[in-house]
Amino acid sequence: MRIRFKLNGREVEAEVEPNTLLLNLLREQFHLTGAKYGCGIGECGACTVLLDGEPILSCLTLAVEVDGREVTTIEGLAGDGELHPLQRAFLEEGAVQCGFCTPGMILTAKALLEENPNPSEDEIREYLKGNLCRCTGYVNIVKAVKKAAEEMAG
Amino acid sequence: MMAQGFRLIGESTPRMDGIAKVTGQEVYSSDIHFPNMLHARVLKSPYPHARVKRIDVSEAEKLGAIVVTYREVPDVVYCPRLVSTPEATYKDWRVLTGRPLYVGDPIAAVAAESEEMAQRALEAIDVEFEVLEPSFDPLDSMRPEKTSIHERIMYMGKEIKIENNIACTMEIEQGDVEKGFSEADVVLEREYRTNRRYHCQLEPKTAVVRPEPDGGVTIWTTTQSIHNTRLLIHEIFGIPAGKINVVKTALGGAFGSSIQTNIVVPIAVALALKAHKPVRLAYTREEDLHEHCSYQMIFNLKLGAKRDGKLTAGSLEAILDIGAHQIQAYPLLGCLVGWWVSLYKLPNLRYVGKAVYTNKVPSCAMRGFGNPQITWAVESMMDELAEELGIDPVEFKLLNHVGLGDLFWGQGPTVKSIIKSSGVEEIVRRGAKLIGWDKRPKPGEQRGRYRRGIGFGRGFHTSSAGGPVPGTAVDYTGAMLKVNEDGSFDYITALMDCGGGTLTAHAKIIAEEIGVPLECINIVRSDTQTTLYDVCTHASRGVYAGGMAALQVAREVKRKLLELAARVLDAYPHALKIRPDEERSQGVIYVEGVEGREITIGELASMARHKNWGTIAAVASVRQGSCPPHFTAYFVEVEVDTETGKVRPIRVVAGADVGSVINPKLAEGQIHGGFAMGWSMAILEDTPYDPENGDLMNRGFINNYKLPTPADLVPPDRFTVFFANTYEPTGPLGAKGIGEGALNPVAGAVANAIYNAIGIRFYELPITPIKILKALREREGG
Ligand code: FES
Ligand code: FES
Repeated sequence: MRIRFKLNGREVEAEVEPNTLLLNLLREQFHLTGAKYGCGIGECGACTVLLDGEPILSCLTLAVEVDGREVTTIEGLAGDGELHPLQRAFLEEGAVQCGFCTPGMILTAKALLEENPNPSEDEIREYLKGNLCRCTGYVNIVKAVKKAAEEMAG
Repeated sequence: MMAQGFRLIGESTPRMDGIAKVTGQEVYSSDIHFPNMLHARVLKSPYPHARVKRIDVSEAEKLGAIVVTYREVPDVVYCPRLVSTPEATYKDWRVLTGRPLYVGDPIAAVAAESEEMAQRALEAIDVEFEVLEPSFDPLDSMRPEKTSIHERIMYMGKEIKIENNIACTMEIEQGDVEKGFSEADVVLEREYRTNRRYHCQLEPKTAVVRPEPDGGVTIWTTTQSIHNTRLLIHEIFGIPAGKINVVKTALGGAFGSSIQTNIVVPIAVALALKAHKPVRLAYTREEDLHEHCSYQMIFNLKLGAKRDGKLTAGSLEAILDIGAHQIQAYPLLGCLVGWWVSLYKLPNLRYVGKAVYTNKVPSCAMRGFGNPQITWAVESMMDELAEELGIDPVEFKLLNHVGLGDLFWGQGPTVKSIIKSSGVEEIVRRGAKLIGWDKRPKPGEQRGRYRRGIGFGRGFHTSSAGGPVPGTAVDYTGAMLKVNEDGSFDYITALMDCGGGTLTAHAKIIAEEIGVPLECINIVRSDTQTTLYDVCTHASRGVYAGGMAALQVAREVKRKLLELAARVLDAYPHALKIRPDEERSQGVIYVEGVEGREITIGELASMARHKNWGTIAAVASVRQGSCPPHFTAYFVEVEVDTETGKVRPIRVVAGADVGSVINPKLAEGQIHGGFAMGWSMAILEDTPYDPENGDLMNRGFINNYKLPTPADLVPPDRFTVFFANTYEPTGPLGAKGIGEGALNPVAGAVANAIYNAIGIRFYELPITPIKILKALREREGG
C-alpha cells in the first residue's frame, strides 16, 4: 500500500504492508533511528513519536494509520541547527545517561508542555509515567522539563 | 584532603555525546543497518531441562532461510566472560545446545531477508524433545538424587565433574570464630533471601555481524568490552584475532549484563559465516528477559558484638542460585566475601559460599556484583543488632566500619589494598543531620493508616579490580592521545561508556592536565583494531582505572609539547606553562613573565609537521595498583500505607565519597539512578518462576516485572545529594568510582525505614505489599 504523510515537516511517501509498524517504517525505510525499540509491546515508551502533536507508541501503531497525517520524530525537533529548549535542558541538567529513553522522553515532555506550559514537578512525573528510564531515576529528567518550561515561558 | 585549584574538574559540563543523544543521532548497535543484511531469529527451548531427540530444519531451508543448529556450531566449551584469569574461570557454555537447560536456551537459529521470513522459517523447524527433570530451587537442586544439570564442565583445559549441581565453592576462615562468638554479649543469626532481578537495560541485546572478504568479521554489539568480545569470538571460531573487528557503538544501558559477550554475538557470527552476508540478531524484550538476570542469594548470617558495641565475630553461609550456566560464579563467591568483610571489622570470621546450578536463566553481575545483596542483609542486621545493644545504629556502624588505613578486599580475596581516602564519617554525620535522624520515630510506635519511618544504610563499592599484585582479575586500560595540527587532540580508547559519562570524564581529565579547553578533546569512535586492550567497563572502574590511562597519556603529551615549545620559544621546558584560550578554542604555551613568548598548540603542531618533527602523541597501557572503595550513605524516609501495604518514598538524603567529583550533575545522576534501582530492589522487582512449566511468570512484560516509573519515586526537591570533601591519592586527579556504590546500600536503608515505620523486619526481598499486609495482620490482628 502507498501512504503519504508529513514527516518532520516534509511530505513523504512510502510503500508499506498492511502490517508494517510505524516504528519499523521510520527506522528501516526512512533511517530515522531516533525512535527506539525497547519492548515492542507498548510498555516502555522508547518508541514514542508525535502524531499530529500527540505522543503515540510507534511500536503499536500501524504505518497505514499515519496516512495523511503528520509525524514528528526526535530528528525533527531541532530547528535550523538550534536545539529545542527541551533538548538543551536535558543536556544541561544531566538528564541523559545511556540516552536510549531520551528521544521518547523528550517528545512526551514536548506534548506535556504544549498541553500545560507550566507543569508542577508532580504533574511532570505523572505525565512521563509511560516512559521508562533505567539510568537516571528520573530526577534530572524532571528538572530538565521544568527548566525547559521556564525557558519557553520566557 | 580536597581537590583544589581545578578549572574543569568539579564543574558540571554537558556530556560530550549529549548532542547526538538528544537529537536522536547517536548510533547504538541496534541502529546498525546494511542494505543486503539478513535478519535472524533464534529457536529456543520451551522446556527448562530437556534433550533434543530429533531436529529437522529442511522445511525452514526450503523457505530460503540460512539455518544453523547445535550440530554445526564449533564444538567449543567456553565462558562468555573473560575478565578473570584461567584459574578463576569455569567453562560450561556452547553457542547452541542439544541439551537445553532453561526455558529460552538457544538450540538453532535462522537468518532470512526479513524478520517475518525468519520467524516463518523458525516455525518450520521440527524438533522433538525428551523432557528431563528440572530444578528451580538451589536447595532442592543440591539433593543427591536430583538429575545433574551439568555432568562435566571445563576448567583450565580439563574436564571436571560436577557433584550435586554445585558449580563451585569457596571457604575462608580467619581468627577463631567460636571464641569470637563466645566473647559476644549479643549474637544474632538470621536467614536472608534476595530476589532474582532483571537488569532491564533499555536496549535489548543485539549483534550485527558482517563477514569480510579476508575471512574475518566486523561486529557491532551491546557490550561493555569490545576487546573481550573479540577474544571470545576468536576462541570459539578460530578466526585470527586481527581479522575480528569489534566496533564501539553507544550502549543503551547494561548494568553488568554485557560484561560477558551476549549470546546473540556467537549466534550471529555462525549465521553470517554461513550466509556470507551481514546478519542482524536483535532480541525482543521477551527474549532479553530470558537472557540474563541477577544472582539470587540465600544467606545465613550471624554476627556477635560486645555491649560496648564492638563486633567480635561473624559467619556467613551463602547459597547462590546461578541458573543454568556459570558466567562468573566463582569470582562472585570471592567478591561476596570481600564485600562482607570490607563493611565492618570482624576480628574472627568464617565464610562458606556455594554456587548452585538450577534450570533457570543464567545469572550474571548486576550493578554491584553481589554487593547490594550482602549489604542489604548486613545493614539490616546491624540495625537490628544496634537496637538489641541499645546503641544508635549510626554510632554502632561508625564504630565498626572499615575505613582509612584498613585493608580493603576490593574484588575478593585476591584483590586487596589499603584504604587511602575515606569520607565515611563526613557523609554519615552530615546525612544524619540533613534527614533529622535524631527526630525519627520509635519503631512500631505509630498507629493509624499511614506510618512514616527513616532508615539508614551505608556501603561502598570498589573502584576497579586493580591491586598491588596481579590477582585473578584482569584489570588494565590502554589509551592513546595525539595532537592535531589545529591544536585539537584525538583521544582513543577502547573503554565503553555505559551511560555514566565516563568518556566525558576522561576528556575533562586530559583537558585539565594539559591546560586546554575541553572542546579541544575529540573522543574518537574506535574499534578493537585501532585501540589498545581495555578489560571492560565494570567494577566502577571507568573513571578510576580508565581515567588513569587518560591522565598518563595527557602527561606524556604535555611533556612533549613543552619540549618542542622550548625549542621554538628559546626557553626551558620546565619553565613553560599552558593556558586555555577559549576564544581560539585551544591551548597556548607561554613563558611566564616574559611577554610575547608564546605559541598556540596548533601553531606548534603545524610547525612540527613542516619541520618533520613528527606527530606529538603518546600511548599508555595502565594497571592501577590499588582498588580504593568509594563510599555512600543513604538516609531514606518512607511512608507505609497499612491498608494497602504500599510503601512510598518521602525523602532521600544521599552522601557519597567519590574522591574528586569530576562532573557533579552526572555524578548526582548516578546516585539518583542507583537509588531508583535500589528502591525497586527493596520493594518491587523479582522474576519468579512457574513451577508447572519452568518459565518466568512475567514472561516478556516489563510492567509485570514492575520497574519504577517517574511517579513512583521522589521529586527533585525531596532528593538531596552531597559529596564528601576527599581526594584519592591513587586516583586520576583524586577521583574514585561511583556507579555501584550509588546503589549498594539502598535496599538496606529502605528495609530499615520500613522497620522504623511499622516495627516489622523483613528477611526476604522484595518487601511487597502482600508481605507487609500479612505481617501487619499477624501482629495486629484483623
Ligand atoms: S518499544 Fe514501544 S513502548 Fe516499548
Ligand atoms: S538514560 Fe538510559 S534509559 Fe534513560
